[in-house]
Amino acid sequence: MGQKTDAAKNDTIKNDALQNDAVISVRDLNVKFHLRGQRLHALRGISLDIHQGESLAIVGESGSGKSVFIKNFIGLLDKNGWIDSGEIWFAGQDLAKLKDEKVWRKIRGGKIAMVMQDPMTSLNPLKTIGWQIAEALKLHQGLAGEAAKNKTAELLSDVGISLPETRMKQYPHEFSGGMRQRVVIAIALACNPEILICDEPTTALDVTIQAQILQLLKDLKEKHHLTTIYITHDLGVVANVADRIAVMYAGDVIEVGTCEEIFFQPKHPYTWSLLSSLPQLAAGEEELYCISGTPPNLFQTIQGDAFAPRNPWALQVDFLYRPPYFEVSPTHKAKTWLLDPRAPKIEPPAAIRRMMELGKQPQARAGRKESADAK
Amino acid sequence: MLKYTIRRLLGALLSLFIIVSVIFVLLRFMPMEGFLGAGYEKMSEDTVQSLLAEKGLLDPIPVQLFHFYKNLFQGDLGTSWVYRAGYPISKILASKIPVSLRLGLLSQALAIAVGIPLGALMAHARGKIWDKLGTGFIVLVEALPAAIYHLFLQLYGTSLLSLPLVFSKSNPVSLLLPVISVSLGSIAGYALWMRRYMLDNMNMDYVKLAQAKGVSGRDIMMKHVFRNAFVPMAQFLPGSILTTIIGSIYVEHLYSIPGTGGLLIDVIQRQDNAMVQVLVLLYSAIGIAGMFLGDFFMGLLDPRIQLVKGENNR
Amino acid sequence: MQNERRNVLLDVRNLSITFGRGTKTFKAVDNVSFHIYKGETFGLVGESGSGKTTIGRAILRIHPTSGGDVLYKGKKINGKLSRAEDYEVIRHMQMIFQDPMASLNERAKVSDIIAEGLMNLQPDLSAKEKKRRVEEALLSVGLLPEFSSRFPHEFSGGQRQRIGIARCLIMNPEFIVADEPISALDVSIRAQVLNLLLRFQKERGLTYLFIAHDLSVVRFVASRVAVIHKGVIVEMANTEQLFSRPLHPYTKALLSAVPIPNPLLEKKKELLIYDPSCHNYESEAPQWTEIEPEHFIWANRPELAQYRKALDL
Repeated sequence: MGQKTDAAKNDTIKNDALQNDAVISVRDLNVKFHLRGQRLHALRGISLDIHQGESLAIVGESGSGKSVFIKNFIGLLDKNGWIDSGEIWFAGQDLAKLKDEKVWRKIRGGKIAMVMQDPMTSLNPLKTIGWQIAEALKLHQGLAGEAAKNKTAELLSDVGISLPETRMKQYPHEFSGGMRQRVVIAIALACNPEILICDEPTTALDVTIQAQILQLLKDLKEKHHLTTIYITHDLGVVANVADRIAVMYAGDVIEVGTCEEIFFQPKHPYTWSLLSSLPQLAAGEEELYCISGTPPNLFQTIQGDAFAPRNPWALQVDFLYRPPYFEVSPTHKAKTWLLDPRAPKIEPPAAIRRMMELGKQPQARAGRKESADAK
Repeated sequence: MLKYTIRRLLGALLSLFIIVSVIFVLLRFMPMEGFLGAGYEKMSEDTVQSLLAEKGLLDPIPVQLFHFYKNLFQGDLGTSWVYRAGYPISKILASKIPVSLRLGLLSQALAIAVGIPLGALMAHARGKIWDKLGTGFIVLVEALPAAIYHLFLQLYGTSLLSLPLVFSKSNPVSLLLPVISVSLGSIAGYALWMRRYMLDNMNMDYVKLAQAKGVSGRDIMMKHVFRNAFVPMAQFLPGSILTTIIGSIYVEHLYSIPGTGGLLIDVIQRQDNAMVQVLVLLYSAIGIAGMFLGDFFMGLLDPRIQLVKGENNR
Repeated sequence: MQNERRNVLLDVRNLSITFGRGTKTFKAVDNVSFHIYKGETFGLVGESGSGKTTIGRAILRIHPTSGGDVLYKGKKINGKLSRAEDYEVIRHMQMIFQDPMASLNERAKVSDIIAEGLMNLQPDLSAKEKKRRVEEALLSVGLLPEFSSRFPHEFSGGQRQRIGIARCLIMNPEFIVADEPISALDVSIRAQVLNLLLRFQKERGLTYLFIAHDLSVVRFVASRVAVIHKGVIVEMANTEQLFSRPLHPYTKALLSAVPIPNPLLEKKKELLIYDPSCHNYESEAPQWTEIEPEHFIWANRPELAQYRKALDL
């Protein structure tokens, strides 16, 4: 048995990543936390590629580990957490092993920037927004003085804030929620990143403002050739912005595929449950579908499939062995024993069947063709 | 802004007026011994009357009040009755206040220079050695009665470091121990609060965003966290500095410093009402001024604080 | 499916609520009118600052009104009431609050929180009876009776909201104002709490005023909806009517902004932006008009003509 050396193994992975056009390649990532004297296994062996120029949405309920996951990309894991094993390949480096703060500081913002959830608290209340943008400009674009001022005005216009010269001298409390979020986006852009991570960027905003911010993010992605990662629990937002969707549950990515594949042909029972519980899909039903039970306790090792206890379609094997990825298409795979050729054929729930029908309808196909043509 | 300042000023003057007048009136209801000293019982009625008339105590109270304020505006603080009988109060204060003020200002300067950075350091090194040492220091200072550590400081300071025991104007080194003694309590207080405010800010979202921007840890501490944590501190700094005028009773006693420490207690006990009156006026004015300056200072540092309503709206 | 003479439980007429005094007043709610039938769920939808929460609070007399009437079963319940009348109103109307983390008294035991209203109304209730009622209430919301001796911080957001609902239901109200009851909850818990509310409605014949900004949820629960914008109700109709054929430009803009969990539709979607200057109210003021049965709209005559054309009337 030829033992590959670590270096050789790394090279293989790197080459794989390059072939996939993957700008970030996560391999078998395990993250743990020290909490209340116990160990929490927050991320349980995630493998995921993020492709250049795509818009990836990571969906999951709270506790699924989605925020923990992306914190690893900028090295801001909480102090009581650590990467137990696994790799995160970015620009030829394994971020999981990176300890040098100086290098991290170049990556943070400059390569991978982040837009956070709550615009009311993400900005320093005692500094003008111009100052806060200029801080990023100085760090990552080396601009100062007049040049910084002009660039700040340009960025503010870019994100749709009128009268930028006046407004850059104002403080965050003088802006509304939606405007503040635009400022946060401007700050992220000022860093000149390649990748933009948006952690629930519109949850705290009104629905009309939300729509505008999402549109803004889409436009900026085009204009600046960004790769974007969205963290959200709102499947409507996902439908709007995502090219690909990764569904997370209990610290693992249990299904990943293109946006249409996940909506119109979901394969994992958890994805079924997530979609079914949407009020929009509860047409004429008496009650909303809800997933019974609670997410599993990640302090203990989990036997088999983490979703099994709450899974109405669980097979016996789900309680014994953890399912691997089963491929549905070159872009779509899910970790469920239901996809094993030996598994019984299960009918997805009514709401999902309706979605599958929608995906096949002629106007949908026309829509698909339109958007394909437009690309 | 001007309107606000004037409104605040008038409010302050009103408060002052009420405080001083109420005390004035209440003092007049005291038993006679207070005004005339221990030998009261032995005095004849005439002596009593003439002594009272001398002190202006026979007039109806509103008249007395009026005279008091009239004299005040003319710069006449009156004369002491008992403390230094017949001596002009202004002269008494003029000799004492500068001494306490000097002691107080120096110790405040030390407290700010040491306490605030200490608090910041403790927050930064949370859970580690500096935090533990600092916490130990604060606990000691806050838990021990001040009298004890003042005493010990004097004891060991004079014996081990051969520092002067008694204050003398000509020897500035003699101020060293007193200044340190007085500052200890403030150092502990400032460190404690600064640490608290720093920690509160360190956990805020805007710090996370700054980190995500790639700002260095040092810049985050200085430009973001410290600057923001300082704002609530700014509120009580002016007051703390101004109230040093009141002097430190114990320390001044230990080192024989002729300051205002314990003066108010002294004159109350001796029932030197003229002095009580003036001191009440002085200390209240200082207290109110301290609060006002504190609010003002904080308003300068925090743009969200609108001292005048309704100007800043999006 | 319309009932002939449906029973109007709550009738709001020309309601105005103003904040502030003297020169600095702010009209939060401006001349608003709507009615709620017994047994239905009425949705009041708007964005932040629209005034929807203020209306809910004014109906429950938590907030004073400055004009107009609120009629409950035909009797005016806003303005000054005698203690007896006030008591009568409160007995029948209750509120479920938005933020389960903020709406429970952290220092009080769950049993006291739930029973407080009851104790106010029936002070001579025996301790045994009180205990029984509290446990009954807890069971009905799916919580264990032994939770009654615990404190709020020991519970999750979803459980806390259930405690809030228990507190509300123990009073046996007829009418409940639910102010964004699920917005602050985690997505997976929302369905549970919503189902609970619907179940109670069926079991006890409750009437809900459901205040929300999430239109998808409102579409699911409400039979009739009113859309409010900056203190003015711009449109009111049966839910499906409103969602399928909105007339007012604000309603259209709001609906276009709602995310649709269907990538093909969502990506093609055109986002409409509401521009208040599209109305010309200088020449003719708008009125609250019933343009077709149960479909009301805030418009002036020229606009009504346009809308009628759009509806093919």
